[in-house]
Amino acid sequence: MNDFDLIRKNLFRRKLRASLMIVSILIAFMIFGVLAGFYRAFTAGEDAAAADRMITVNKINFTQPMPIAYYNRVRAIEGVRQVTFANWFGGYYQDPKNFIMALTIEPNTYFDVYRSEFEVPPEQLQAFMRDRGSAVVGESLAQKWGWKIGDRIPLNSNIFSQKSGGHTWDLTIAGIVKGKVEHVDTNFLLFQYAYFDETRSFGKDTIGWMILQTTSPENNDRVAKAIDAMFANSTAETSTDTEKAFGKAFAAQFGNIALIVLLVVGAAFVTILMIVGNTMALSIRERTREIGVLKTLGFSGPRILKMVLGESVLLALLGGIPGLAIAALIAMALRNSLASIAPAFAVSPTIILQGLALMIALGLITGIIPALNAMRLRIATALGRG
Amino acid sequence: MRSLWLQVAAVTAINLRSIAQRRWLSLSTVIAIALVVIVLLAFLAMANGFQRTIAGSGADDIAIVLRAGSQAEINSTVSRDQVRLIEDGPGIARGSDGKPLISPELYLVVDGIKRSTKTKANLPLRGIGEQGSTLRKDITITSGRMFNRGSNEVVVGKALQRQFEGFDLGSTVAFGATRWTVVGVFEAGGSVFESEIWADLNVVQSLFNRNNIVQTVRARLTGPAALNELKSYSDNDPRLKLDVKSEAAYFAEQASQTSDLIQKLGWPLAIAMALGAVAGALNTMYSSVAARATEIATLRAIGFGGFPAFVGTLAESLLLAVIGGVLGAAATYLIFDGVTASTLGGNFTQVVFDFKLSPWLIAEGVALALIVGLIGGLFPALRAARLPIVEGLYAN
Repeated sequence: MNDFDLIRKNLFRRKLRASLMIVSILIAFMIFGVLAGFYRAFTAGEDAAAADRMITVNKINFTQPMPIAYYNRVRAIEGVRQVTFANWFGGYYQDPKNFIMALTIEPNTYFDVYRSEFEVPPEQLQAFMRDRGSAVVGESLAQKWGWKIGDRIPLNSNIFSQKSGGHTWDLTIAGIVKGKVEHVDTNFLLFQYAYFDETRSFGKDTIGWMILQTTSPENNDRVAKAIDAMFANSTAETSTDTEKAFGKAFAAQFGNIALIVLLVVGAAFVTILMIVGNTMALSIRERTREIGVLKTLGFSGPRILKMVLGESVLLALLGGIPGLAIAALIAMALRNSLASIAPAFAVSPTIILQGLALMIALGLITGIIPALNAMRLRIATALGRG
Repeated sequence: MRSLWLQVAAVTAINLRSIAQRRWLSLSTVIAIALVVIVLLAFLAMANGFQRTIAGSGADDIAIVLRAGSQAEINSTVSRDQVRLIEDGPGIARGSDGKPLISPELYLVVDGIKRSTKTKANLPLRGIGEQGSTLRKDITITSGRMFNRGSNEVVVGKALQRQFEGFDLGSTVAFGATRWTVVGVFEAGGSVFESEIWADLNVVQSLFNRNNIVQTVRARLTGPAALNELKSYSDNDPRLKLDVKSEAAYFAEQASQTSDLIQKLGWPLAIAMALGAVAGALNTMYSSVAARATEIATLRAIGFGGFPAFVGTLAESLLLAVIGGVLGAAATYLIFDGVTASTLGGNFTQVVFDFKLSPWLIAEGVALALIVGLIGGLFPALRAARLPIVEGLYAN
């Protein structure tokens, strides 16, 4: 029988108590996994932001349009590698409840600016560019509705109407966009701005925002100043910022999500820490006499310390790992229904690593005091007790 | 029978007095339950505050007219011709001069800076028609005055002024290239309008290049029943592809989405945490039973029944739960009640609201605590009741 067997046997000596502990820890880590995944989804834009990408919006607010003429003027600015633009469509499919993140874009440049995130097979991209009435959809959106290339779908807008009076644009799916890296959310539909602009009933020749890539992040400041200076004192002044800053400011608008997450995870952890810590202390106290025997048999103090700590860490891992697994399942199940507010909701590898670190920390913190007591216990006292 | 109750009372008293011996374990259960209640109540208070602010904004006898399918003001467009048709519609109240009491409105999003985080936030700038302020209940200008028609003047809601920088009376704010002067601050009975900036419709239209277009039309109805007349008038005229709703219904819809979301987040979290707390309570109570095994067995040996031991243990658990629940509710009240927060509402703009606890919510919190206590005490109580006497006597 080695030390690990002893640890395991000690832990499950009282099966009910051990199971209860494992359940509480499981719940704590389930909450941790779900909330961390949620938080990550909120800040995904921030993490995915490329350092050399900037966003230009109307200075009044990013929901205000600006003239499409700005696009060509920005292209000419030195230090700008590529520019593209997009316009919010307010899309939904069949029922207003089925929100779809739909944008109208400039097809030649959009996938160049986002080339590190999105991948469209070249022949599909060609087909998209050729057919003005076509669209490309993100992989997860296509999956959600079972759309395939060649399908014709009616896309409604809760903002725009067609010149003919309707609110529905019929689009043919020309391609499926895949994400290249973990953070990328592919819950979107993109179609051609040119087609949208000539069919819409109002707002002609205006665009929502421009995304530009600088030749190097060092040029960001200079380029931003040059753009905003160019349109100063015009009817549509602009504000240019890095993609990261823009995403951060936008996420902040939902209120202090980070604080709420911290509060809840913190509360759950304190609760579990107390329960587990107390129980560990209790179970070690019960075993005082045994620890005395182990010491008599020649177990050293440090070895006893390791065994007690091992027991509490094992307990934390036994509860924590299934807890994270359940969180991952919950995230998968909720992913689609939360797509509009928290896209890319998932328990990522980073979260799993953080979770494992927290489990070990939890095990060490709850075990340390009983372990130290056990280590320092004198044989005579131990055997005399009880 | 009487003796049974005396036994119950005696054992319960012994149990409760012995809590002190297990103070750390008991305290951890109390705190665990309190934390569960705090998390639940914080979420519920947030949802409740948001709901009250928005749902309290609408009136039954005001109709709001939006483009069909637009759902929120921000997405709607109504043309000048349509506004004229609505003016002549049935069911709309008229002022003493015979003019219909309606207000065409343009709702735009502008940037403001939040005081607490210094980050940009979406604020609503509403261009209102002549009747705009009279079509809303409880509007009072608390300082300064109403804007003059045709000028670059704005009045701001009290909540907006408190949460966002640069809207002090007399100061100038710039939206794009245009500068506006803040000439007044208004109160709106705690409704969502207090999170808005108001200016003259015509000025907003021309400065934002939205001539001939508004987003919504508000109209005072001759009574709540007149809504259907206006509705069928709009449905039967092909020139009017519009949704007609009572303002109350519109805001109720807006409120339900976000507050549902908060509640959907709050309850599962609280229940998950409560399960953790149940595990803690079970632990505490099993330990309590184990610690008193000799005592329980002794009582049984001298003629006490199993039922008093059951009740005694359950009472201890419930007492700990009640203390935890009340502690949690009190802490939530002290920390969160009245805290002002803001988030994006249905119109993609900031809604300023206060966390608001209500007696009903507190009752829900304490009820959750009691459920934790009940489950956490039930099984240990059963064990206490069934403890074999001989085993108990030799327990230690």
